[in-house]
Amino acid sequence: MNNFRVIFEVTLKSLIRDRLLQVLLACALFIFLVVPALSLFSMRQVQELSVTLSLSAISIILLVLTVILGSSSIWRDIERRYLASVLGLPVSRTSYIMGKFFGIVTFIMVGSILLGLVATVVIALVSSQYPSDIPVRWLYIWAAILMDGFKYVLVAAVALLFSAVSTSFYLPFIATLVVYFCGSASQGVYEYITSDYGKTMSAMTRNLISSIYYLIPNFAAFDFKVQAVYPLAVPFQGLLFTGVYFLIYTGMVLMIAVWVFNRRELA
Amino acid sequence: MICRLLFIAFVVGYCACIVPFASYLKNRPVAVKLGYVPSAEVLKVAVGDQKLLVSQVAVVKVLVYFGTLVENFNKKIILPPEYLNMYKTLQTAVKLDPYNNDAYYFAQAAFTWEVGRAEEVNLMLDYGMKYRSWDYMLPFFAGFNAAYFLKQYEPASRYMHKAAEISGNPLLANLAARYYYESNKSEPGIQFLEMMEKGARDEKTRDLYRLRRTALQAAQHIQTAVSQFKERNGRLPGRIDELLGQGILKKMPIDPYGGQFYLDNSGTVRTTSKFAFGEHNQ
Repeated sequence: MNNFRVIFEVTLKSLIRDRLLQVLLACALFIFLVVPALSLFSMRQVQELSVTLSLSAISIILLVLTVILGSSSIWRDIERRYLASVLGLPVSRTSYIMGKFFGIVTFIMVGSILLGLVATVVIALVSSQYPSDIPVRWLYIWAAILMDGFKYVLVAAVALLFSAVSTSFYLPFIATLVVYFCGSASQGVYEYITSDYGKTMSAMTRNLISSIYYLIPNFAAFDFKVQAVYPLAVPFQGLLFTGVYFLIYTGMVLMIAVWVFNRRELA
Repeated sequence: MICRLLFIAFVVGYCACIVPFASYLKNRPVAVKLGYVPSAEVLKVAVGDQKLLVSQVAVVKVLVYFGTLVENFNKKIILPPEYLNMYKTLQTAVKLDPYNNDAYYFAQAAFTWEVGRAEEVNLMLDYGMKYRSWDYMLPFFAGFNAAYFLKQYEPASRYMHKAAEISGNPLLANLAARYYYESNKSEPGIQFLEMMEKGARDEKTRDLYRLRRTALQAAQHIQTAVSQFKERNGRLPGRIDELLGQGILKKMPIDPYGGQFYLDNSGTVRTTSKFAFGEHNQ
């Protein structure tokens, strides 16, 4: 437990000190500065567009952060030969992976909250200047931001799994992006093949696509942006299901990552 | 030293060319094309959680394109607008984000007056009403299109009814009642006004509903007498006096708007007030 805490703290500190991340967060703040101006492109829904842009910006920034962090964390330690030194100490590989993961998770969730706070200020500013017919529901906006955060925690777990297998940075980076885009699209594809259009496909193709749908993570489930932008009731069942799905899927991916990393030959 | 001189030369060169370069960019001929937007089905899969953003980008693309056409038109440069492409782009936008108000608003603004495609716009508005259930503007637009462009008063009355129910606006309720009357369906109009009258919290608004209901009831009363006259005589009455003469109508109902009731060539009851204040002398 003590080893886990040490790895977790070291990971978190190194992430906070990382200049690349500081540059990314500075870019994020710049994006939020231009949101009020971009919102004026709308004719009738300036407030709604400010929420859309803010949530989109958070999502894109978190995607970049997560993929870079998840793909590079183990690879960096191997490149700098830190990993060999750390594992030479009485530190289990499981503690190492879990410490890394929770360091990244903390960074992502704190990042989500900080970006959410900036978005709150921007949205409040725009909605006070250009109030809409529909109110701003902060609870829904925060639900969307936090669910986005959870989504990227799952993405980080997937990235860590690929990092546990690979010796290079590129494989986990590209593979995580591919899984992310497939996982975001899978719901749409699944709905397509199960609709009337899908009947024109062969049964084998449909079964193959369905299998992939159940296998890869479903990131569309974490998308509550529509509810946040046009304050529509956030379905409790949806939150509950997504929460349970998140815990189970992340747990599975982490266990596989630990299992693979424990069996890996490290020079 | 050479490096420094080279750097200074670059800076001077940049300063010398940036103003004419910016001027060239500003005035260069722009290809005024809306361009191709992939189908909504493809985009839904491809853009993941950025559907709302992509939808808004598509709408802004149409707005910028149309704005450029208008700008050129003002400069006497007339370019044929790609209306079909614009409509398809907006359709894609609302399929990605069915709540996107800008898409419906622009469709209403651009495709009814300019192109006379009120029917297609109403299809899009019908789609939007399924989602923007709190927004009275969509049924209001659809009701206006049905009545003004399509001369379909029955659907117009239904749309206005919906708009009035959502907004609670007495003006829309009166418009709905007027369209009910125009579609020869005064009874649902009267019932609707009664309902709105009961629900109104403000006394003045209640009076407004009562006035319109009384006027419709009066017209309905005469219209019923016209039907009885036709059954009895096998022809339509030429004037309301004939209804009074045969005792079908006991007395001439009063138009609360101050007008006089009369029959048009098709035997429909009309009034000189047109159920509005200050128009009875026209």
